Amino acid sequence: MAEIVCHGVNKKYGAHEVIPNFDLRVAEHEFIVFLGPSGCGKSTILRMIAGLEAITGGEVSINGKIVNDLEPRDRGIAMVFQNYALYPHMTIYDNIAFGLRRLGVSAVEIDRRVGEVVDMLGLKPVIGNKPSELSGGQQQRVAIARAMIKTPEVFLFDEPLSNLDAKLRAQMRLEIARLHKNLKTTTVYVTHDQMEAMTLADRIVLLNAGRIEQVGTPEEIYARPASLFVAGFIGTPAMNLLPATVGENGTRLDGQGFSLPVTPGRYRLAEGQKVVFGLRPADLSRTSDAATAHALSGTVDMVEFHGDQVLVSFPLGAERISAFLPARHRPKEGDKVSFAYEAEAMHIFDAAAGHSLLHADN
Amino acid sequence: MQQRQSLPYVFLVPTMAILVVLAFVPMFYAIGVSLENRTLSSPDSHFVGLKNYLLLFGDSRFVNALWVSVKWELITVSATMIAAIGLGVLMFEAAGPKLRNALSLIFLIPVLLPRVCAAFVWKFAFHPLYGIITYPYRLITGQPLDMLSSPTQALFAVAFVDLWQWGFFFAVIVLKLIEILPQQPLEAARLDYAKPWQIHVYITLPMLRVPLVSLMFVKMIESLRSFDLIYVMTRGGPGTSTETLDMYAFSQGFIEAGKISYASSMAVIMMVATVVIFTVVWKRLKS
Repeated sequence: MAEIVCHGVNKKYGAHEVIPNFDLRVAEHEFIVFLGPSGCGKSTILRMIAGLEAITGGEVSINGKIVNDLEPRDRGIAMVFQNYALYPHMTIYDNIAFGLRRLGVSAVEIDRRVGEVVDMLGLKPVIGNKPSELSGGQQQRVAIARAMIKTPEVFLFDEPLSNLDAKLRAQMRLEIARLHKNLKTTTVYVTHDQMEAMTLADRIVLLNAGRIEQVGTPEEIYARPASLFVAGFIGTPAMNLLPATVGENGTRLDGQGFSLPVTPGRYRLAEGQKVVFGLRPADLSRTSDAATAHALSGTVDMVEFHGDQVLVSFPLGAERISAFLPARHRPKEGDKVSFAYEAEAMHIFDAAAGHSLLHADN
Repeated sequence: MQQRQSLPYVFLVPTMAILVVLAFVPMFYAIGVSLENRTLSSPDSHFVGLKNYLLLFGDSRFVNALWVSVKWELITVSATMIAAIGLGVLMFEAAGPKLRNALSLIFLIPVLLPRVCAAFVWKFAFHPLYGIITYPYRLITGQPLDMLSSPTQALFAVAFVDLWQWGFFFAVIVLKLIEILPQQPLEAARLDYAKPWQIHVYITLPMLRVPLVSLMFVKMIESLRSFDLIYVMTRGGPGTSTETLDMYAFSQGFIEAGKISYASSMAVIMMVATVVIFTVVWKRLKS
């Protein structure tokens, strides 16, 4: 078990800076998820922790020891790759046993430990097969077994479920969660799938263009996005974002097609400030009282069926508003509707800088 | 429908016809000749059955040539493969992408040289008095060194030239094969406590087993056809110490005795042995 500390970590390819300055402390036993769009540098940071990518500047330490110049094999880590990275010419048994054999562990001991992880992951029937004879889910399980058997101090996962189909992904997600619950190994997990991040993480590190946008528990990131980027990235369907101007001493937001009151003191607003006002589709509920203060109205022009829920959308000024409603109470296209929301559901961001204007003590 | 079915034949028949004319006709003709007692000195000949073949196995020079051929195959194929894999892996581990490309280009030059040219260049390099290879020996001992006239060293000297021509070329191929391998298993091995040489022994080379076996076969076939190299450098000498089967057949058929039938029987034996051995080795190594 170990703590990982990244201090001022920096990565350049020639003159091109991919990771400007990355600071993070991963506590012992913690499950950290790096989340971000493709190309945000999350895999690069993971590979620097693993030692597969050289660190241009700064320090990475694992378990109190600076590992910048250590070979991957000497860092006490195990990694699971997106495309499994199994040794194609070896049987499943040999794949799992490979690392222990390099360490010179006795054959009896290897046999016992392989037996253990194989039982845990349900791989016993395929132990003599080659990787190409296994399904994607089984191959990823072998990769996890190969990582587990080394009893590493740190687990690194690089988009391990991206190559699996949706159903299998959900199942494997659960398995990884259960594994972490049992083993409590410090884990860094990279994904672009926010559902994986939300369900697995103790804390999410949300990255954009090599920089940390926000670090927090899934609840914090979802309920209190620190920036416009986080607000737009997290949440399915995506948050409604409307440009607005602050009016009347910071107590109202005026935009195309709406003028809404703001709880005084909750946000740092200055009159005349350009802001972006955000509301999650799920925070909107249908109301018959169009005159209520916290409501948006319009004519429905699209209804998307999602099963239990429907996504209803209507134009408002130059933008569109979507609301996530129970399917039983859905309006029809062309209906005039009004949606109410709680005052606390409002997210307000500075339009130019993108940061949240919510007061920190709220 | 009729047209579509006949289309493959339109393409296949001319090629197959050319192949039959160029390969099978001489082959069967050689088999026919090997069963007669034809010579270049007399116009008439008759059928003698397997007499030529029986004579061959009592011919110590034939047995010697057979042994030289086997030695030649073993030495050149194993040396080329070992050098190519060693050099390819070394380039992969030690050289950056730019240096690798530059080296690859340089390493292609020997194989581009026609073999007769290479043979002449190296024959002079091995010259006992003026050669560059023998220069250090002369400098140290003051004695000339004549490797090509030494029965024990001549075959190795010629094999060295063969290695020079093909080893570098194959090293480039091995390097390119390693480069196009998926990198993740190699990275996984780095995390699995494998040292660089272990990664190659346990991961990259086994992953490249099939292309490497194919490469070895190319070299085996190529080594069988080294007549020109050996002929220019040693003419099979000194004595018969570098006389391979094809060279002995050639000299029996055209140089010394004109015994066409006798030479043909050797060619047939070579063909049968090659086909049998290659098939066995191929089946063994592929599985």
